[in-house]
Amino acid sequence: MLQELAIIAVRGAGLGAVYALVAMSFNIVKVSSGILNFAQGTMLVLAGMAGFLASRLAEEWGPAEWLLFLPPSVAGIAALLLVQGAITLLPLRARTGHQDSWLITTMAVSIILGAALLLTQGPNALYVRSVFANVDLLGMRIPAPYLLSIALAVATWLLLHLFLTRSLTGLAISALWQDPVAARAAGLCVFRLQLIAFGISGVILGAAGYVAAPMLTLTADGGLRYVLNGFVVAVIGGMGHSGGALIAGPLVGIVMMLAGYLFGGEFQNLAAMSLLVAVLLVRPEGLFGAPGMRQV
Amino acid sequence: MSAAQGGTQALDSARVADPATRWSDLQNGQTALAIVAMLAMTLGPELAGARYWAPVLQLAVLYAASAIFMAILRFDAGQVSFGQGAVFALAAYAVGIACGIHGMPYAVGVVWGLVAAVATGLLFALPALRVQGYYLGFVTLSAAMVVPEMLVSLDAWTRGINGISLSLPALAEPIAHGVSPLALLIALLGVAALLLYRALPATAFGRRLRVSAESPEAARALGIDPGTMRCWAFLLTAFGTGCAGVLYPPLVGFVSPNAFHVELSILFFFAVVVGGAGQPLGPILGIGLLFLVPNAVLAQLAEYRLLIYGGLALAVMMLLPAGVAGTLASLLKARAARLRAPIRLHDVLQVLRDAPPLAGGGDDPVIEVHGARKRFGHVIALDGVDLLVRRGEIHGLVGANGSGKTSLLNLLSGFSRMDQGRVLVLGRETTRLRAHRIARLGVGRSFQTPRMFADLSAWDNLRIGLDARRGQPDAATRAVAEALRGAVGNRDVEQVPHGQRRVMEVLRVVMQGSFVLLLDEPAAGLSPEEREDFASLLIALRDRLGAAIVLVEHDLSLVWRIADRITVLETGRVVAQGSPAEVRRMPAAAHLFLGGGGA
Repeated sequence: MLQELAIIAVRGAGLGAVYALVAMSFNIVKVSSGILNFAQGTMLVLAGMAGFLASRLAEEWGPAEWLLFLPPSVAGIAALLLVQGAITLLPLRARTGHQDSWLITTMAVSIILGAALLLTQGPNALYVRSVFANVDLLGMRIPAPYLLSIALAVATWLLLHLFLTRSLTGLAISALWQDPVAARAAGLCVFRLQLIAFGISGVILGAAGYVAAPMLTLTADGGLRYVLNGFVVAVIGGMGHSGGALIAGPLVGIVMMLAGYLFGGEFQNLAAMSLLVAVLLVRPEGLFGAPGMRQV
Repeated sequence: MSAAQGGTQALDSARVADPATRWSDLQNGQTALAIVAMLAMTLGPELAGARYWAPVLQLAVLYAASAIFMAILRFDAGQVSFGQGAVFALAAYAVGIACGIHGMPYAVGVVWGLVAAVATGLLFALPALRVQGYYLGFVTLSAAMVVPEMLVSLDAWTRGINGISLSLPALAEPIAHGVSPLALLIALLGVAALLLYRALPATAFGRRLRVSAESPEAARALGIDPGTMRCWAFLLTAFGTGCAGVLYPPLVGFVSPNAFHVELSILFFFAVVVGGAGQPLGPILGIGLLFLVPNAVLAQLAEYRLLIYGGLALAVMMLLPAGVAGTLASLLKARAARLRAPIRLHDVLQVLRDAPPLAGGGDDPVIEVHGARKRFGHVIALDGVDLLVRRGEIHGLVGANGSGKTSLLNLLSGFSRMDQGRVLVLGRETTRLRAHRIARLGVGRSFQTPRMFADLSAWDNLRIGLDARRGQPDAATRAVAEALRGAVGNRDVEQVPHGQRRVMEVLRVVMQGSFVLLLDEPAAGLSPEEREDFASLLIALRDRLGAAIVLVEHDLSLVWRIADRITVLETGRVVAQGSPAEVRRMPAAAHLFLGGGGA
């Protein structure tokens, strides 16, 4: 029993780290442009498929070669996100009509990518075998990707934090979050900064999908689940607050694993949704977010 | 409210083809077109004997009806929901379980279906009390994902993945000219949804929804709780979607979890936005483009269905950001003349002056503040402020920027909570009361940035004040309302110069029936003559309606001319208080007049 709970905790934390990565990727785009990118899940699945290809090749080679394929797949996903960012941001520049075309454009891109995957891959899930052996931890055998994902989440949070507080570009992106109008008036090139944010989100998703590929459900329509859980983590951690996401991710992952263990796998999403509703009702600003200050 | 409208019909008939009228004609035309399209789609195939096309076109109308309710939620209530497919599914399933498994009559199934739909709507509405916008989008999206999963896993009730088949022949048998009762029901639902969608903005409920969506602060200042309005919007939408959902089983004869995947919810949302933001034709155009084109017109390309669907949605949003009907309508609207036309307040003033002075109002205190303290982080905004405002008094609140004037106004109106101290309105403690409750007690306020709603006409912008009033307006208010209606007429609020929008907001507070008016820099941006009119307006409000007015204003000459009492704030503290003449002589207020800023 204790052993099982420990496995649930480690696996939940690993899966939660992936959600935390998705949440951080949510945050950087949200901070720069107010957009929540619904296509992120499909992008994560695409990155996972890159991981699938690499693991096929690396079967003959080894972990070193697997690592060699990481930079090109990350670059590929980042490039894809840049294109998607341009597609999403362009209609918003025209100041006519309601400023919510991004809801449609990001979701439509997700549907198009999913449809393309369905046409090329068929409806079945791809299974990726990790190139790393299982790790022995306190007598448990943990698949390496779970631990790698946790490490990646921590590293991403650290790098994001340094980028947003130390680099000029990062500071400019933070300024967009605080006051987009003032940032524009101060001469910041808003469009370029927003594109950069999309690119960074692509780097995060590319790395996350590639590393976590063996634990992801790689299907054409599997992306939505990751968007949703990533959002749940982002809200619980506090929107725009990546440190919060890092803590909320494993929390959500463990609750979902526990729900799956107690009631059955199909109740995992119900558990995540209940958690989201509960947090929104009790503390809408999230565990680590600050409540809105002045309204008038 | 209705009394205020009476007798102004003459004004209506006199109006020529002004922009607002043309806009309304455009909307009516679209509604008529959409009704014709719905009738043709539901009844046409059966009348023409084209049995093959009947089911898919009728299903499209069911979806379009759901999309129309979604449009109400989206554009009238400003909320995002990706979960209406779940509501639709549960309504359909309730009918399936009641009639298909337990053999109950269809009418009983319908009742269960509507109960299921409204219960789901209630689940969506609960978070809406606290949050709004995309947060709700995600809550509802997860519901849309979870519901089909639950339909599969609760197979003891739902028969799981196999689904439930049911036949309701009585509904499908033609009764006249090949038309079945089912087709009539579907047509009726579609037309009813359209008419509701068209009529809603002209009702007080519709205006309240719109105000809550566009400016929750303005709603609270009008005594409306925006969370409650969002709740009602979700319930109304759920009921409408449920009505469509219960017609699905008799039409298709089968319910299964696969029919209600999250894609259905996304289709409803897409249809509304792609079809055209807030346009009557929008939902049906959207369903035509995103459902009929990939599924019926291009049916032979079945495997590319999703690709076509996503591609169409993306292309429309890139080329026509306001959707198909929305972009067309805004082009037509832009062609209508756009002239700036100031409102003439003379008539309104005259009516006010003619009103009999309020008898026996007395000068009892209406607002008392004791020792108000408020800090934001390290900044002390208010540091032990006392204030007393009497009935029929104009109370000027002056001081430099950052001295705490607006903070004090926010505490009085309940927009922020004080850390220490008490507020009493008419002797009743309101320190902890929420903003909309304080507003209902008769405390109205205006904002530094006036909350005007471009989607409402200028008169409707004032009328939301009347909507907010508790009980029937008195004769004086009715007379003012009529004069106002004559003065602003049917013009577009965009035509009103910025400075005058503040005045309109003040007048909205008057319509609201507030006896306390908290005005935040109302005269900023007015021309000298408009300032004169505005000063007489405030005096008339005080003398004729007995209002107590708290006036935050930088124009000291205006304040000294009309105020009965003045409070000077400095870094959150009261440094001088008294009649204008007294305050003028106080050393603490002397700096205010340096540089000739005073009268």
